[in-house]
Amino acid sequence: MSTVDDPRERLEFLQGTLEVLILRSLQLGPNHAYGITRFLEQQSGDEFMVDNGSLYPALQRLLQREWIAAQWKTSPNGRRAKYYRLTAAGRKQLEAAASRWRRFVAAMGRVLAAEG
Amino acid sequence: MRALWSKLRRFAAGRRSLADDLEAEISAHLEFEIDERVARGMPPDEARASARCHVGNLTGIAERARDTWTFPPLESFALDVRYGLRGIRRSPGFALVVVATLALGIGATTAIFSVVNTVLLRPLPYPAAERLVGLSESDPRAEGISVTWLNYQHWRNENHSFEDMAGFRTVQLTLTGRGDPALTRAGLVTCGFFGLLGAHPLLGRTFSEPEDQPGAAPTVVLDSRFWASKLGADPGILGAALALDGTPYTVIGVMPPELRFFGRGIDYYLPLHRFEGAVTDRSRHGSMRLLARLKPQVTLSAAITDLDGIMRRLAESDPGPESQHRAHGVFLTEAMTGDTRPALLVLLAAAALVLMIACANVASVVLARATARGREIAIRAAIGAGRRRLVRQLLTESLLLAAIGGAAGSLLAQWGSRTLAAMGPRAIPRLAETSFDARVLLFALAVTVLTGLFTGIAPALAAGRLDLVSALKNSSRAAAGRAGHRSRGMLVAAEVALTLVLAFAAGMLLRNLIAAQTGDPGFLPEHLLALELMLPPASYRSPQAIAGFYDTLEQNLRTLPGVTAVGAVNCPPSGGDCGDWFYSVLDRPAPSPSEVPIALFNNADRDYFSTMHIPLREGRAFRDTGRPPAPLAAIVNETFARKWWPRQSAIGQRIKFGGPYRGGPVYEIAGVAGDVSQMGLGTEAYPEVYLPFSQSPDRSMVVMIRSAGDTAVLAPAVRGRVAALDRNLPVVSLEPFTRVLAASLSQRRFSTLLLALFAGLAMLLAAIGIYGLLNYWVRVREDEIAIRMALGAPPRSILGWTAWQALRLSLAGAAAGVMGSWAAARWLGSLLFGVAARDFATLAAAALVVVFTAVLATAIPAWHATRVDAAQQLHHS
Repeated sequence: MSTVDDPRERLEFLQGTLEVLILRSLQLGPNHAYGITRFLEQQSGDEFMVDNGSLYPALQRLLQREWIAAQWKTSPNGRRAKYYRLTAAGRKQLEAAASRWRRFVAAMGRVLAAEG
Repeated sequence: MRALWSKLRRFAAGRRSLADDLEAEISAHLEFEIDERVARGMPPDEARASARCHVGNLTGIAERARDTWTFPPLESFALDVRYGLRGIRRSPGFALVVVATLALGIGATTAIFSVVNTVLLRPLPYPAAERLVGLSESDPRAEGISVTWLNYQHWRNENHSFEDMAGFRTVQLTLTGRGDPALTRAGLVTCGFFGLLGAHPLLGRTFSEPEDQPGAAPTVVLDSRFWASKLGADPGILGAALALDGTPYTVIGVMPPELRFFGRGIDYYLPLHRFEGAVTDRSRHGSMRLLARLKPQVTLSAAITDLDGIMRRLAESDPGPESQHRAHGVFLTEAMTGDTRPALLVLLAAAALVLMIACANVASVVLARATARGREIAIRAAIGAGRRRLVRQLLTESLLLAAIGGAAGSLLAQWGSRTLAAMGPRAIPRLAETSFDARVLLFALAVTVLTGLFTGIAPALAAGRLDLVSALKNSSRAAAGRAGHRSRGMLVAAEVALTLVLAFAAGMLLRNLIAAQTGDPGFLPEHLLALELMLPPASYRSPQAIAGFYDTLEQNLRTLPGVTAVGAVNCPPSGGDCGDWFYSVLDRPAPSPSEVPIALFNNADRDYFSTMHIPLREGRAFRDTGRPPAPLAAIVNETFARKWWPRQSAIGQRIKFGGPYRGGPVYEIAGVAGDVSQMGLGTEAYPEVYLPFSQSPDRSMVVMIRSAGDTAVLAPAVRGRVAALDRNLPVVSLEPFTRVLAASLSQRRFSTLLLALFAGLAMLLAAIGIYGLLNYWVRVREDEIAIRMALGAPPRSILGWTAWQALRLSLAGAAAGVMGSWAAARWLGSLLFGVAARDFATLAAAALVVVFTAVLATAIPAWHATRVDAAQQLHHS
């Protein structure tokens, strides 16, 4: 499953969240798969562990929905890499998903707080 | 939706580029990871290893990514199909047997269905044809009686149930002045007829109301086939005159050929009412039937109740001998196919039985193969194939075989239905139009899929139940084989049962046909030439003229060399029902109006009985007694005489034509003639009365000419004699009478031949099934046989033990088949003539043949069992 080489238990992605996070990572500008991984791990404070076996299918699904587009480019360090960028539809999708996610978290938080 | 489009686009672009692209992307990813580790100060080798470990299984990632672009159920289906095709390539013998068996079954069923589809199911080519009905009169004992002109008028004007109604009948008229005189068939129709059939003329117009009145100027509308064949498709034909029975008819229109309403086809249409003349008697019948279209939402039974109400009112206001008559209606679709329906349905059922036997055979073979493949399936299950996945794969395989069989079967069926259409008897309506339409293809497809499921379901379920441990541990074929053997045995027993039903049905039909052909028809059919004539009323008006013509003709024919006797009859043997009518026996109490007896009334001349060699049991043949008022004489057949005077002589008894309630002359019985097969060969005799030609001459007669030698040689001379008497008289037919009789059996011969073919096919398939089963059983048990032999069992006991395995199943199947045949006989009855459908001798013979075939099929494998070399076998295992 995951290539966990760190004994500390990390968070697994909830269904569908990886795709939102990919869209979010591309909001800053085009990036390649490795860059997306690094971005998500750093931004989550290494709480998220991105499994390539999930990342690549997720990227393909986003391509199929035409929320992102891909292009081969040369990276700053001289390597050829496939760069993904947000499309207009993807930007709209990200906004909708982000607002839904915030509502979900807020509601979840309220419920958990009430119980506690 | 958008995702689906992307997938389809990508699918079209090809999968190779996608795979390459992903591979390049992931290896770039790996390089980034290595770069990062090297940048952190790791030695390159270690960095590469660590990065690889971190990134994960490269191929696995690429595959999972690629899979998002595919259609998983479809892909696994494609995989199953590929696997199945590989299996077929690996065992072509097995595949060939399965495909050929299924092709035969599916082909036979589809071919018959294509005929059933055209003849029985395809809608008639008329607008709102599902609401078209044929109407006739009925009385308490008979239905389908012609409608009288006055009743038609009342029905048409007073009903509330029909959109429109038209009368029709046919008549034969002689066409002169256009080449050789020819007998032509006219469709007499009232003017609403064409509107009901939605037919429009190609040229000109159809009749108007005033043209269909007594005394109107004669007009004719041509059928375009007649127009093309007889009149050279002359475009200027409108306004020309056609001489029919001597009367000039003005051509006013030409109708398209696809009207196809009258079974035998007609040459032109004439207005019916003008032809019939003015009528005032409500019970005067003129063989007219009605065509009518129901109003939407009105049921046929409600419409008949409506007409019956009219008839009841008429019975009060205008009472007569037919006050009891009511209306009778049949949907046109049924009316047009009435006779052929049972035969076609029995044939379809027979074809379906053949298909079931084929399925059972294939299921048995597939089952055998599946048990032989037990290990393979067990291994696949062991390495993680789910039960449902396995079942699906096995079903896909049998569906694949069924699909190939179905495709081959469809080709076979196309050939078969063309052959059926070309060879089938003319009497089956629309048979020649048989073709493959969407419904036939759909039928073939449905049959194919069902076949695939049926043949695959048993092995698939068996695979689903497979006990992994024992299947993997035990490599002996015997252990694997035993599980499926019971189901195979049951399949084979079922095959034997079905085959027996088919053999019985074919046997019954065959026996019936042979009886018809070899039975005593009551006369001597050989060396007889039948000359059918119909004198046109225009040139032969008086009874004297008619009698004079036939007398002279017979005289002239007798002088031809080789002719030994000449006599004439109106309705020859197996000519069917040429006219039945009411009668009563004087000196017997008068029957009630609804119980007046009916007999066939025929017309024969003095020499008819001696020419035909019909024996006279009592009394004498007709004499030339002269015309009335000389006492009227009649000859009755034996059945008639036995019905009324079983213990005394019928001679001198008197019968009244028409019965007590209708007008008609009284006849004195002068003789009793032997029964002949009037309604068709092999049918039961029906009470029949011959009236003397000399006292009531009939225009249409069949002149029977008996010759000492070959009848065919005589034909030209006979034609010459007819032409010498009347140059304008067409010869309706001139044929050896044996050929006329053979033609009357053509439909029965057709269904018997097909059923026999199906039974033979079934027998072959069942034999193959038994052979296959026992052969497999023996092969699986070679070890056991060897041990038995080594322990001293003689070959005879091995033979008996082996053969018993198959024989047991055959006997069980035969027992079931006997019961099935007894039940199926009910449907067979409609195809048989003059015998009960439950004939024990035929059933016993069929059972014997089937069991004997089964024994033959067991012989080779059983013999093979005795040839097992015990020493070698035990050494090897």
